Amino acid sequence: MKNYDVLLKDLAPRKFGKRGTIWVIFLSIIIVIGLFAYIDQIIKGQVVTNMRDYALWGIYISNFVFFVATSFVGSVTVAVLRLTNNSWRTPLVRIAEIISLSAIVMAGLTIMIDMGRPDRLLNLFLHARLQSPITWDVIIIPTSIALSFLLLYFPLLPDLALLKKHFKSAKPKYSKWYGKLALNWSGSKAQKLIQEKSIKIIAVMIIPVGILLQTIDAWLFSTTYRIGWDSTNMGAYFISGAFVAGVGALITMVYILRKVRSLENYITEYHFDKMGKYLVLACFTYLYFNINEYLIPIFTAPVEEDIHLNALISGEYAPIFWFAQIVGLLLPILILLFKKGRKPFPMFIVGLMVVVGSWWKRYVIVTPTLLHPFLPIEGVPESWHHYFPSIHEWLITFATLAMCLLLITLLVRYLPIIPIQRTADEQELLNIDKN
Amino acid sequence: MKILNNYPILFLAFLFAFIFNVEMPQLHAQDVKKSTVRLKADYYKIMDGDIYFDLAATARVDGENITVPNIDLILTNEFNGEEVELGTTTTNKMGKSKYILKSINELKPDSLNIYTVNVSFKGNEKFKRASRTVSFKDASITASIITKDSINYVSAIIKETSTDSLLSDQYLNVQVQRLFRPLRIGEEFNSTDKNGTIIVPVAEGIPGIDGNLIIEVVLLDSDDYGTVKAIINAPLGKPIVEESTFDQRTMWSPRGKTPLFLLIFPNLIIFGMWGLIIYLFINLFKISKS
Amino acid sequence: MEENKETSRRKFLDNGLKLGVAAAIGSIGLSKLASKLYANNTSNSSEKMELMTTDGTIVQVDSSEVVEVIKAQIGDMAHMNKSDVREGIPNRKFVMVIDLAKCKNALKCVISCNKHHFVTGENAWIKVHKMQESKDTAPYWMPRTCMHCDQPACVTVCPVDATFKRRDGLVLIDNERCIGCRFCMAACPYSIRVFNWSEPEQGGMSEIMMNMDMGHENLSIEYAGLPSKKGTVDKCDFCPHAIKNNELPHCVTACPNGVFYFGDKYEDTVTNGEETVRFSKLIKDKAGYRLMEELGTAPSVYYLPPVNRLVKFEDGLENYKKYESVETRNE
Repeated sequence: MKNYDVLLKDLAPRKFGKRGTIWVIFLSIIIVIGLFAYIDQIIKGQVVTNMRDYALWGIYISNFVFFVATSFVGSVTVAVLRLTNNSWRTPLVRIAEIISLSAIVMAGLTIMIDMGRPDRLLNLFLHARLQSPITWDVIIIPTSIALSFLLLYFPLLPDLALLKKHFKSAKPKYSKWYGKLALNWSGSKAQKLIQEKSIKIIAVMIIPVGILLQTIDAWLFSTTYRIGWDSTNMGAYFISGAFVAGVGALITMVYILRKVRSLENYITEYHFDKMGKYLVLACFTYLYFNINEYLIPIFTAPVEEDIHLNALISGEYAPIFWFAQIVGLLLPILILLFKKGRKPFPMFIVGLMVVVGSWWKRYVIVTPTLLHPFLPIEGVPESWHHYFPSIHEWLITFATLAMCLLLITLLVRYLPIIPIQRTADEQELLNIDKN
Repeated sequence: MKILNNYPILFLAFLFAFIFNVEMPQLHAQDVKKSTVRLKADYYKIMDGDIYFDLAATARVDGENITVPNIDLILTNEFNGEEVELGTTTTNKMGKSKYILKSINELKPDSLNIYTVNVSFKGNEKFKRASRTVSFKDASITASIITKDSINYVSAIIKETSTDSLLSDQYLNVQVQRLFRPLRIGEEFNSTDKNGTIIVPVAEGIPGIDGNLIIEVVLLDSDDYGTVKAIINAPLGKPIVEESTFDQRTMWSPRGKTPLFLLIFPNLIIFGMWGLIIYLFINLFKISKS
Repeated sequence: MEENKETSRRKFLDNGLKLGVAAAIGSIGLSKLASKLYANNTSNSSEKMELMTTDGTIVQVDSSEVVEVIKAQIGDMAHMNKSDVREGIPNRKFVMVIDLAKCKNALKCVISCNKHHFVTGENAWIKVHKMQESKDTAPYWMPRTCMHCDQPACVTVCPVDATFKRRDGLVLIDNERCIGCRFCMAACPYSIRVFNWSEPEQGGMSEIMMNMDMGHENLSIEYAGLPSKKGTVDKCDFCPHAIKNNELPHCVTACPNGVFYFGDKYEDTVTNGEETVRFSKLIKDKAGYRLMEELGTAPSVYYLPPVNRLVKFEDGLENYKKYESVETRNE
């Protein structure tokens, strides 16, 4: 029982410190500013963005794609590592689940920001056409949200029951809430049986759902005739990209939480080493698809595609393109190949690089293609030939990112970020083994 | 009811004009410079159909040609120094109007069998009075389809109605009715011979609904006879075959006509996934109950 | 199923009206609607003018009779509901032929189109592109309307069925349903669609003026997608409001060079207003082609190659402004 006490003391939710409070206030301010920008956008129309008839999608869409990609971390760490029996995942899964849920919820929200008529949101359900990839998205996103929620919730049940007990005397109000959320969990055999079965189903389900989600996201682009999008490579390319973005986000988050909550005993260098190797695997896969996407077309590119590729490789978009490729992909591979690169701090830097690179990578996927249509862009102002987000777009986008971070922060605040029960069980098993 | 609906407007308009006149004489003074209305009047006769006048009013205001909507035009029949008013018509938004005669007998010709109709506009606060006279003799065209050596021809005869004399050297157009503009068949000009007759072959493969072609023989805008048109229905065309995919299940169809594979497979996946999700939620419920 | 029932009911009503038994089927709903519309007119105190605009060729016999006719017509239009707009005109398949040999970038098509659809500046539905495939090939001017594809990519991807393909070949937009996702714009390989990023300017036309001009609000078959609405997509509509009156689209009539031919493919006839020719013969004789045939969109617009040109390409350069839209001018 002593074991549990230590675990609970280390892992039970804790009040925000000074830094935490400042952090939450900071995020809230960004969100409020973004909200004002969004209200302004609704009043004036999307003329406040820098999107126009040619650059008809902008960072709202690339940001949405980024969120969708990040949410893949749930499938890829929790489910894949579970199915492959990688036990090092234990202290990381909860964080992955939290990121996954927050990101997918935000993806659902951000896509609405891009709508010209958000007041007609219901039309998506009332008049849904199954031929449209957007309808597939409308179906898969709520599915993913539901599944990500369940993936987070089922394993939480025993921990919530523990927390109920833990806070009984100190904070009866909390205790009551945890009790309610714990759904009368007593750890009985029947309950455990249902829980185990359910988790197994979710773990199996979340992989195809995650892959579908990424693929449908890719299909939003590849079902058009546009150069740079109209590619059969797109689905796999997006999945591998999501693999990178998700693991990158996980590493960054794990490092921060480990620091803030002093979890060095639970998340060790061993875990970072493993995550590092995992990220390298992801990066290599992504690199492979990048070569397919950008290098191979050079052989057979029609004129328009040539223009597009040139704009990326040496033209207007070269800085962003190479930033995303080098900082978001090549450098991480280089760093992570060395054992020293897989220490916590370098890993944190690599994680940040990967996340930022991934965000800009989506920008490079969405924007340049739209500015390279088949017919010349004519009869419109010079500014319509280019795209860079307006202040409104930045403010709103930052608000969505802040909202995602706030969601993660709040979940981290009130939930045990490392599964207590599981850790205890595993430690027990270890002890038994030792004995 | 109708009258009641109309009167207040007339009254209001009247009142408004009155107030306008009394209270703003200076504005009225500016309006004194009136524009000239140009009237166009064409006589049309469709064989076994309507006889009508196509009327149009235009004006040049500030160096621009505009149509004159909403003015009353009075039609008068003039013969042997007499004038008989036929009726009144009002131009529409496009400055056009059509006045249909019940029959040619509504009009009386002069001694030379020439009908004369005067179209006049009384003038209003913006435009000066104007008038226009059309004169014409009554002609008729009879058209028929004849087949020789398995080639189909349109044959048409044009006569002056009052004297029953055949008219030679008249240019007749033979054309198939089409949605926007008629499609000419045969030569550009078909001049009638001394029997007042033309014969024009009908080209193969002209499409028509159910293979029916509506062929027109037209004397167009003749100085003496106006426009005279004979219309015949001929089942000589190629039936129209609809190519539209409207009734099929296609990728671009509305929801009701979604391709079956797109209905079956996604729905299987959706119901499969959500069935499991619901099952999982039920499991949560079961946990709370056990 | 419900929709079908409704359609057939509407059709019955329409036919009834056309048969001239408006009074007989003057059910409560119909008379209510008609009287409502009618009441609106009277309260505007512009009754007379509006009555005139709704139909071009009414014979004026007696004022009371005229009211009757108009009333029936307004009722008729009010019952042209959305599903009729979506169905289109039976036994028609509209096509356009653009003769590149005649185009000299006069831009009259764009000006006229803007004016009649109440669109301004950058929102122009028609564009005239300066084309030159490579530096050694001949430059030419290429007017570009909506292709009204028979296998439209834009319609395929619309999530809410806001843009639709009709039986008569027209691809139109229901801007009362459009959610503004712009997927159709991304899908269109011809980049013809435009978006109302802000409240549309409507060329200085006030809402009232527009309704007066149209006699109703976006109800009838002729005005699918008009007036433009903020946050929705617009595009060339092949002028169904003109077609309905057996008139040619505005670009066709406005072109001083007879570049545009328009007609019904089933009738095998196209006309530029001046000359009327067999569509199949024109395409055969002048080797007509469609834009980006290889994409499989099956456009309804055909191009005749710019051979034996009547005008010099350079003549069009004075009107060419790469970075400026054609502003609406009052003609």
